[in-house]
Amino acid sequence: MAKYLGKRIFYLLLTLFIVITITFFLMKLLPGTPLTNEQKLSPEQRELILKQYGLTKPVWQQYLIYVAGIFHGNFGTSFQFSDQAVSYLISSRIGPSLLLGLQAMIVGVIPGILFGALGAIKKNTWVDTGTTIVSILGISIPSFVLAVLLQYYVGLKLGWFPIADWGGFAYTVLPTLALAASPFADTARFIRTEMVDVLNSDYIELATAKGLSRMQVIFHHALRNSLIPVVTIIGPLAVNIMTGSMVIENIFSVPGIGEQFVKSILTNDYPTIMAVTIVYSVMLMVVLLITDIIYGVIDPRIRLTGKSN
Amino acid sequence: MKLSSSLKLGAVAIASVALLAACGSNSSNSGSNKQVLNWVETANLPTMDPSKSVDNVSARTLNNVDEGLLKTGSGNKVRPAMAKSYSISKDGLTWTFNLRKSKWSNGDPVTAQDFVYGWQRTAKPSTASQYAYLLDHVQNFDAVNKGKMAPSKLGIKAEGDDKVVVTLSKPQSYFKYIVGMSAAYPQNKKVVEKYGNKFAANAQSAVYNGPFKLTGWTGTNNKWTLVKNNQYWDKKNVKLSKINFQVINDQQTWLSQYQSGKADEIILDGTQFKNFKNSKELNKRELASTFYLDLNQQKQAIFKNQKARRAISMAINKEDFSKNVLADGATAPKGLVSTGLASRDGKDFADQAYVKAGTEYNLAQAKKLWSQALKATGKSSMTLNLVTDDTPAGKKASDYVQNALSKLPGLKIEANNVPFNVRLTRSTKGQFDVLVDGWIADYPDPISFSSLLTSTNSYNYGHWKNSQYDTLVKNAEGKDANDTGKRWNDLVDAEKILMQDQGIVPLYQKAQPQLLKSKVKGVEYFTTGAQFDFSHAYIK
Repeated sequence: MAKYLGKRIFYLLLTLFIVITITFFLMKLLPGTPLTNEQKLSPEQRELILKQYGLTKPVWQQYLIYVAGIFHGNFGTSFQFSDQAVSYLISSRIGPSLLLGLQAMIVGVIPGILFGALGAIKKNTWVDTGTTIVSILGISIPSFVLAVLLQYYVGLKLGWFPIADWGGFAYTVLPTLALAASPFADTARFIRTEMVDVLNSDYIELATAKGLSRMQVIFHHALRNSLIPVVTIIGPLAVNIMTGSMVIENIFSVPGIGEQFVKSILTNDYPTIMAVTIVYSVMLMVVLLITDIIYGVIDPRIRLTGKSN
Repeated sequence: MKLSSSLKLGAVAIASVALLAACGSNSSNSGSNKQVLNWVETANLPTMDPSKSVDNVSARTLNNVDEGLLKTGSGNKVRPAMAKSYSISKDGLTWTFNLRKSKWSNGDPVTAQDFVYGWQRTAKPSTASQYAYLLDHVQNFDAVNKGKMAPSKLGIKAEGDDKVVVTLSKPQSYFKYIVGMSAAYPQNKKVVEKYGNKFAANAQSAVYNGPFKLTGWTGTNNKWTLVKNNQYWDKKNVKLSKINFQVINDQQTWLSQYQSGKADEIILDGTQFKNFKNSKELNKRELASTFYLDLNQQKQAIFKNQKARRAISMAINKEDFSKNVLADGATAPKGLVSTGLASRDGKDFADQAYVKAGTEYNLAQAKKLWSQALKATGKSSMTLNLVTDDTPAGKKASDYVQNALSKLPGLKIEANNVPFNVRLTRSTKGQFDVLVDGWIADYPDPISFSSLLTSTNSYNYGHWKNSQYDTLVKNAEGKDANDTGKRWNDLVDAEKILMQDQGIVPLYQKAQPQLLKSKVKGVEYFTTGAQFDFSHAYIK
């Protein structure tokens, strides 16, 4: 297990290094500087400002400095906020993003499992049709449309929750719902399919034949076994939430890194774009690693070491 | 200031159209007695350092928390601020400002030395101020700015604690506007040096001498609050106790916030403008900003011919484009200098310098002129490339201009929509045939526009040259600088020459239609720079 973990972490760091390198050189290919009034500046001033950002050195030196900086948590200075370090920009904004992501995951996955199971148990009845329709809607309505609908009806018309802004649990409700829709629908559909499969399998028939009650069969045997594959979709769901958050944070004016990412792209704030890309990559890789580990732990058929045979 | 039209995610457009129909249902009247204003910005506050501010969010915030020697209010009227009075020497070179007794928000007195320190700090190269050039008429500015002379040699001196004497290298009648801008604010040396490069990087690391002080800004967050500054000299006339700012990126969210009463104002986009055209809360805010076509004479010899330039202008229906295509409150321009920027004896500059042929639409005439110009080059057809921003307005301009110009005989247009920075690079390098360019005036004087088109100005991307124009602009900045009437006429004549010769093709004048809750009174608006002044605003 330890060896497997070591190997995985090594690959993780290698991938990260490649991501950093590619992002860095892609950014260098793009036009744009921290200068806003470029043509009105004297050459001396232009030089001075670029020097402050370390942009006068050769690109390979800039690259080495950048990589070395990352190990010290230094991502450079933002072009957009000339007085702020990018690391501060991210650390002051990652909290709301993580909170929303986590809430959306919980609010999406748990009801999704129950909904899916319900559909499978009541297969081919109106309940099943109903749950299928709801999950298809959840998949096909883009989160940004749902966000606007929630804002308008729940926020503006009913006035139950704040329309936008940040500042307490009430403010997280609408963005969480908008973000959770897609993971909810994905989980529900996935669980339904899995569960229908499991319910048709021989051991369920056996369990029923042994005289177990329907509830016991469903909870102890069917649902438990259908849950294992759910772990595999947590990775893709996390990606879903991360990409969704860029749009959702923007719509709800959440001071998170997704919103900052969009702004930094619009303002050509390259140091911030790079740093957020790296942060996203790390988050994604860690989620995938955890998923793999959990998968190995809960499903004995998966061998982590690959040595057992 | 270069213009980058603010970008918005177009993603919610479909949904917003569907939702726009019903509106104005849930107006909250909570807090109607409280003197609290809720304002919205579409971008974060990047810095509060008066020397480093380049964007209009920080310009606006600074304009309400700090104060220079004089202050520009609505109608571009200049009123006393930190200086209770001032006098100008006969030659226009020496400006003496008599300061009133006033204090910083930490209780320190605002002294003449604070102005000297602030100006020197803006001018010296290590500050790397991108707006320092506003002080370019101050004696020795260039040498100080290039690091060739000590900052102490800059033409600003303190005589005692309450007198500031500024020496200019040449007369500048609009200097009264410059001294009200953030680059010319006083700065508290003690505070600046205490925080070093973290000065004004958050609300606590700065002090304020204006009607309000900043709180709640961490440097990166989406919300901040201005609270009344009890040390302000004119505090008895400041009625608002608080102004809450929030950053909203999404236009539909902003409208919902406005309708629910969480925001007291909204700058409308095109779709929203259509829906609120007849609203009582609508204020049509003009901007001192003109968009126009540069025709690259260095790359396309045909543009050396005035007929070709006139043909391009006459083929484009500016009225139709601004009213029906942009439809966001924009108007057809009268020339390069925007309407509402400056006036003399009750007459607007743009009206006075108006040359009908310079902006009128006449397709038949355009075709005729273009054929003649094309014939003179010996070619029967040509393809030109058109470079515009990739913003929604930029794309509309590109489609419209491409379509309009394709009607000219033998002309094919290839359009490139590019990001703002790419557009700038291509402009400077001359990598375009036709360019949609934009400018917003820094201060309310026609020279802010007129100087752009002189033959040596680096913003003259089309390389249009006219010696008469150059002379007139030079006179306005030189020998006529002290004679308001003559100077005015110089600039009017220059503008007329520019339009008669079609040095550029004006396309539209930008506007920002705003809905403002009717309970909000006394907000001052002006067409340049910071745009809003809340010092006399109140809630009824």
